[in-house]
Amino acid sequence: MFRVPLTRGLPSVKVVHSSLRATATQAPQKIDVYIDDKKVMVEPGTTVLQAAALAGVEIPRFCYHERLSVAGNCRMCLVEVEKSPKPVAACAMPVMKGWRIKTNSDMTRKAREGVMEFLLVNHPLDCPICDQGGECDLQDQSMAFGSDRSRFTDIDFTGKRAVEDKDIGPLIKTIMTRCIHCTRCIRFASEVAGIDDLGTTGRGSDMQVGTYVEKMFLSELSGNIIDLCPVGALTSKPYAFTARPWETRKTESIDVHDAIGSNIVLSTRSGEVLRVLPRVNDEVNEEWLSDKARFSYDGLKRQRLITPMIKEPKTGELIPVEWEDALVIAGMKIKEAGRSVAGIAGGLVDAEALIALKDLLNSLGSEAVCTEHTYPMEGCGTDLRSNYLLNNRIAGVEEADLALLVGTNPRFEAPLFNSRIRKAFIHNELNVAVIGPPVNLTYDYEHLGDSPNVLHELLYGSHPFTSTLMAAKHPMIVVGASQLERTDGASLLAQLQQLATTLMLRGNIDHNWKVLNILHSIASQVAALDLGYKAGVSEIRNAPPKVLFMLGADEGAITKEDLPDHTFIIYQGHHGDAGAAMADVILPGAAYTEKQATYVNTEGRSQQTLAALTPPGMAREDWKIIRALSEIIGNKLRYDNLNQIRVRLEEVSPNLTRYGYAEEANFTAQASELAKNVKGNTSSDPFDVKLKRLEDFFMTDSISRASSIMAKCVQAAKKHRENKYFGSQNE
Amino acid sequence: MASRRIATPLSRQVKPLLSLDRSEARKRVLDLYKAWWRQVPYIVMEFDIPKSIEQCRQKLREEFKKNQHITDIRVIDMLVIKGQMELKETVHIWKQKGHIMNYWKETHEPKPTDFLSSFFSGKN
Repeated sequence: MFRVPLTRGLPSVKVVHSSLRATATQAPQKIDVYIDDKKVMVEPGTTVLQAAALAGVEIPRFCYHERLSVAGNCRMCLVEVEKSPKPVAACAMPVMKGWRIKTNSDMTRKAREGVMEFLLVNHPLDCPICDQGGECDLQDQSMAFGSDRSRFTDIDFTGKRAVEDKDIGPLIKTIMTRCIHCTRCIRFASEVAGIDDLGTTGRGSDMQVGTYVEKMFLSELSGNIIDLCPVGALTSKPYAFTARPWETRKTESIDVHDAIGSNIVLSTRSGEVLRVLPRVNDEVNEEWLSDKARFSYDGLKRQRLITPMIKEPKTGELIPVEWEDALVIAGMKIKEAGRSVAGIAGGLVDAEALIALKDLLNSLGSEAVCTEHTYPMEGCGTDLRSNYLLNNRIAGVEEADLALLVGTNPRFEAPLFNSRIRKAFIHNELNVAVIGPPVNLTYDYEHLGDSPNVLHELLYGSHPFTSTLMAAKHPMIVVGASQLERTDGASLLAQLQQLATTLMLRGNIDHNWKVLNILHSIASQVAALDLGYKAGVSEIRNAPPKVLFMLGADEGAITKEDLPDHTFIIYQGHHGDAGAAMADVILPGAAYTEKQATYVNTEGRSQQTLAALTPPGMAREDWKIIRALSEIIGNKLRYDNLNQIRVRLEEVSPNLTRYGYAEEANFTAQASELAKNVKGNTSSDPFDVKLKRLEDFFMTDSISRASSIMAKCVQAAKKHRENKYFGSQNE
Repeated sequence: MASRRIATPLSRQVKPLLSLDRSEARKRVLDLYKAWWRQVPYIVMEFDIPKSIEQCRQKLREEFKKNQHITDIRVIDMLVIKGQMELKETVHIWKQKGHIMNYWKETHEPKPTDFLSSFFSGKN
């Protein structure tokens, strides 16, 4: 079985990557190689394949993948090197000075044809019924580099190699006969996902990729092995036999199921999303995608609100009505309420809708515009952005040498952030320590306990881990935003800020390095705080308004019991979930796939979704509903189109319209200074995280709760856990 | 080359379409109008439209008045030619009932202009 070289076990041995480095100051000298007689200068240690890529020549490959370790077993990348008797595997061979590499010589082409012939001898010719058809590396490369005939004749009529299919869960369909043994899935599982479940058994033509024992491949990142598989051996179960890639329309968008803001591509046809694929963005999600983001798209078709509704006062039934009626009734109630109007914004709301709601309520004289999730407002609260961002960026983890995770389970709150930590853990010798419940993070860590007292001890140096923390050059403290929702959240944050400042004052940290990082798990939170929303619904609970406007608030922060009977509830959102159930008027909005909207991820990077579909039925884009309502009330908002509302966004917070760019937040010192004013003590209740096991991960918002694929995943994860042989491994 | 200019201004002489002067064009318009006028009772009968002869003549007048402002003789002539073509299509019943009724645009919905109406119609 393939494994990453375990250098971690030998702390005294440092791997020297470029042995040609003469002195510490002198940069390694570039060496010249010739790719098809074209000269390129490359760093020593570069492989032939990378050197060829620099020269603009793409060498065909199956097993090589730039984000995985080199296996060198498919032999497709064989190229000729002058004066070498045999062709060399380009993906594994480092170049030497003056090498002349021929990527298109007779020997190279003959080698490729031979490899293709061998692969096709053991590969079924079922392209017409294969889901990989049209995006299959084997198909493409056999067209480009294969021979036009084969010497394979089934003289004994024994049939081709056939391998039994595996059941590895509700997401991945396996047709193992198609497998070409590139081992990309195995390497992904053990290196990136951190679950050593996949491996090979047998040798030669008996080799099989599988899980050894009958077992499901359950990981929060499992869907990525579908993308990695160069052939149709691993395909998407929900997408099976649905469409061919050339008949779908692709729209670039942003994922909203966590606060990472993964870049995605939506494949749509005939008015529905058929699948979600990741889009490469090295600063955010690299090229991976979490299973929730990838497979919850079927939730976009179920439980949707497609028409405005009004609650019949006598029977309590919701009756479908026209837009005009719904807006007039909502408008009337808001006008009657005067200033006693409040708004709550949920987790999937875009910045445009957020600003429209805030402008509307403020124009009515109400300041009660809140987010569903609490954040401490004491100290400098949310006035300084550095106080609520993942300041060091997601990619920043790769430079860190120590990560202290406080009350968070990044594996399920932000799977792609967790995969970064794991990447740093494997390749960068990152040390991880955790304060909080001892969850399985797919990498080793030092567990410092689950009590907030540990923070106190770290701050005053009485904890044994203090010395390690103080010695770190690039420490990162990552705090789960859910811990700051506790009643003592403010003093927790203050303590963490003090700890971060103390670390900075030790002096061995670079000034641009940000120690304190907040990890959100809600897509809308950062944008809401940027726009000046009040975090938390305590204000509404203390002084219940006459009219409550719930903008996609489905997490039950405010329930019917918290409000007096006469409070009129307007719900605007896209799914019939907890919020819609308690509403008096329902205004159907658009989901993230149906609008061009702005989202800000946990590092403060604003990104926009593009509309792949039109909203179903009579549903409309969210900010337009609020804009229409404002006109009916008589407090007309002054934007009519997307450009105008984005100008308004820019007025309030300029970073919101700088798409793709993470605006840096500063004033950490001032924030920590202000945090000293925070009164109150931290309680000694242990930290707890909501998402502990894999089955907790799949259903966290109104879209994934409506998804039947996610329900199957939860079931599978539960069943897997109950298995007496290996159930407890993944916890 | 570029410095050389063709200094002689050409007086623009355009070829007339049909009429040589305004009075001739006016005569053609009136002839067309009268032809339509006389055809109206037959249109009402043959197409079986839910309009009276008076309503049709009112509409005929409206359609001609639409182009009242045009002074260019060539444009007038071209409009007359097109009017004759339409008349011919009507007389031979190459048109259908809907084509005739379309002069009234009874089923035409105006495009939404402001934010609210386009919101209600779902067109934005």
